[in-house]
Amino acid sequence: MANRKKIGWYLIFTVPLLLIFTLIVLVPFVIGIYYAFFQWDGIGANPMVFNGLDNFVRLMEDERFLRSTWLTVLFTVLSVITVNAVGLAFALLVTSKLKLANLARTMLFMPYLIGGLILGYIWQFVFLDVFTLIGDVTGLESIFFNWLNNEDFALFALVFVFTWQMAGYVMIVYIAGIQGIPGEVIEAARIDGASGWQRFLRITVPLLMPAFTISLFLTLSYGFKIYDVNLSLTGGGPANATELFAMNIYNEIFGYGNYGYGQAKAIVFFVIIAAITLTQVYITKKKEVEM
Amino acid sequence: MAFNKKFVTGMTFAATISLLAACGGGGGDEGGSEGGSGEQSQGISIFQTKVEISEQLEAAAEAYTEETGVPVEVIGTTGDDYAQQLQIRLNNGTGPSIMSVQNAEVAERLESYLYDLSGEDFVSNIAPDMELMLDDKLVGVPYSVEGFGIVYNTEMVDPADIQDYDSFVSTLEDFNAEGINGFGLSSEAYFLIGHISNYPFSLQEDPVEFMEQLSNGEVTLTETEEFQRFGEFMEAIRDNTPTPLNTTYDTQVGDFAAGQTAMIHQGNWAAGMLDEFEVDFEYGMAPFPLEGNDKLAVGVGSNWAVNAEKDQAEIDAAIEFLDWLHNSETGQRFIVEEFGFIPAMTNIEAGDLDPLSQAVLEASNSGETIPWSHNYYPANVVPNDFTPVAESFFVNEDMTGEELVENLQAAWENAAQ
Repeated sequence: MANRKKIGWYLIFTVPLLLIFTLIVLVPFVIGIYYAFFQWDGIGANPMVFNGLDNFVRLMEDERFLRSTWLTVLFTVLSVITVNAVGLAFALLVTSKLKLANLARTMLFMPYLIGGLILGYIWQFVFLDVFTLIGDVTGLESIFFNWLNNEDFALFALVFVFTWQMAGYVMIVYIAGIQGIPGEVIEAARIDGASGWQRFLRITVPLLMPAFTISLFLTLSYGFKIYDVNLSLTGGGPANATELFAMNIYNEIFGYGNYGYGQAKAIVFFVIIAAITLTQVYITKKKEVEM
Repeated sequence: MAFNKKFVTGMTFAATISLLAACGGGGGDEGGSEGGSGEQSQGISIFQTKVEISEQLEAAAEAYTEETGVPVEVIGTTGDDYAQQLQIRLNNGTGPSIMSVQNAEVAERLESYLYDLSGEDFVSNIAPDMELMLDDKLVGVPYSVEGFGIVYNTEMVDPADIQDYDSFVSTLEDFNAEGINGFGLSSEAYFLIGHISNYPFSLQEDPVEFMEQLSNGEVTLTETEEFQRFGEFMEAIRDNTPTPLNTTYDTQVGDFAAGQTAMIHQGNWAAGMLDEFEVDFEYGMAPFPLEGNDKLAVGVGSNWAVNAEKDQAEIDAAIEFLDWLHNSETGQRFIVEEFGFIPAMTNIEAGDLDPLSQAVLEASNSGETIPWSHNYYPANVVPNDFTPVAESFFVNEDMTGEELVENLQAAWENAAQ
């Protein structure tokens, strides 16, 4: 009976979620795979022409898509590094014996609470007005200009804003990890004469591995999937220099009206993200140490 | 424990039902306007692309509901992503009863959704050649006659000074020396390159035929005189004005209203915004002097179309609304006074027009116009392909006008394939 009761509770919590998940994730996903083998403009009444693997073949020769792939990889690698470095630094800062630690923690987390779209527009203003103003005043015009109008710097602007947004979030994960490290281990190390840097590298980092696993996974997948900040900050411009994966797919489907081809891209996109994030989780999991 | 089991099943059931109900709710809303039960009048919905008239259209819808009791829902739009939004709505069955269709290219894609309006009374009043035809069906009723060109501040610019390349460039240079923006574009697709790219096409003897030949590879832009000159113009504009990529439509018009910009490339639709700014100077519209062009570009911005996928009752109701809008006194008043349209109907008198619309109307009446070629461009070529090209042109100071035209050629090929 007790077992039955458990199953009951289990059902209460899972069935609604499972239903929703099936309806809005699994079903569209499967339909999407189906569409990827057709040539279709996405308008219900217009004919769908089956063209086998043509969409996938075409994809390999699509320069704009390949460029977008490269940009996405670059963006993700850069952001994973910066987000985690900054997030970890924040976490170490607010878990130290700083007086304003709690306030700092709240403030550093705040950017995450602002939606990506709004954030993009805010930063658009910062780059356009504040950056150019600083450049004018300080004379450092080679650093402080409107990054968004430069084909190389626009991507860095995107990394910058994404870091600003996500660092507070992974900070929370790292804080939880740091607080889970027993004080006696660190104390023992200190008594043994380990310096601050050694304590960080030999004790904190290995024991933080679970937090790394989660944070890396989150930033990797968020980075690959980014769309909102991309849309509102640069809109893919200038000259498609910041057109990342998700935006490329959206433009293919709704801009060029190639629904089937866009779906094929989306499938490839999914496979790539899944492969990369799973590999990452596998590798970092192996590095985790048991206490 | 039996209680628990019941409780559990109950809860699961309730959750499932509420889900279904939620789905049903969505349909229900639609049902409310569609079926809404027979004795009530058939409701209609309108989804349209022109942001400038959103509020006014809602007022018109209210007035219509008051007069006839037919509920009209105006679905909001942001303008830019209208085409995508419309596609999504049509596909998931929440399409509007009346929608706007920009041009023949779009009409072709949406063919199965477009109701044939040929036989309706009010379409006989459409000004000659202004209707949107698809084969031999009349599928779109023009919004209005619109035109664009150089909108200039009469206190700063004498139209005689911008009649050819040399005078235009020297005017720009003068303004540049004074620290005034001589010629403002803005970063949005159509305002950056879409509209201005019309001129070299529209100056061809037969623009539509030229575009067909272009798509077939029989002519190239780089070898066409008008485009070579166009490249030079764009180069002069880039070199003598602040980059348009930092400007939005709003700031472009706002800077003009504030006297910080002497000329902007805009259409008569901008007059409404200038009016709101209560500008204290006179302004007018002059032709863009490519190859000495002395005509404004005049065309139809968009068309009203009726969704053929709806049931007949709703289609009829939609047609009645359009009929009311174009034939009743109230409807006509809205078109002329509230929307500020230059009517494209022979039975509607233009009202007191703003200076820009007046210029367009005069040009249109005298026939001294060039057509809107962008209505015949390959679908979406402006936001998809032309805009990145224009962006890289404005970003890279060392790109020449010639290279701009080469890239536009490549962009066209990409879109036309």
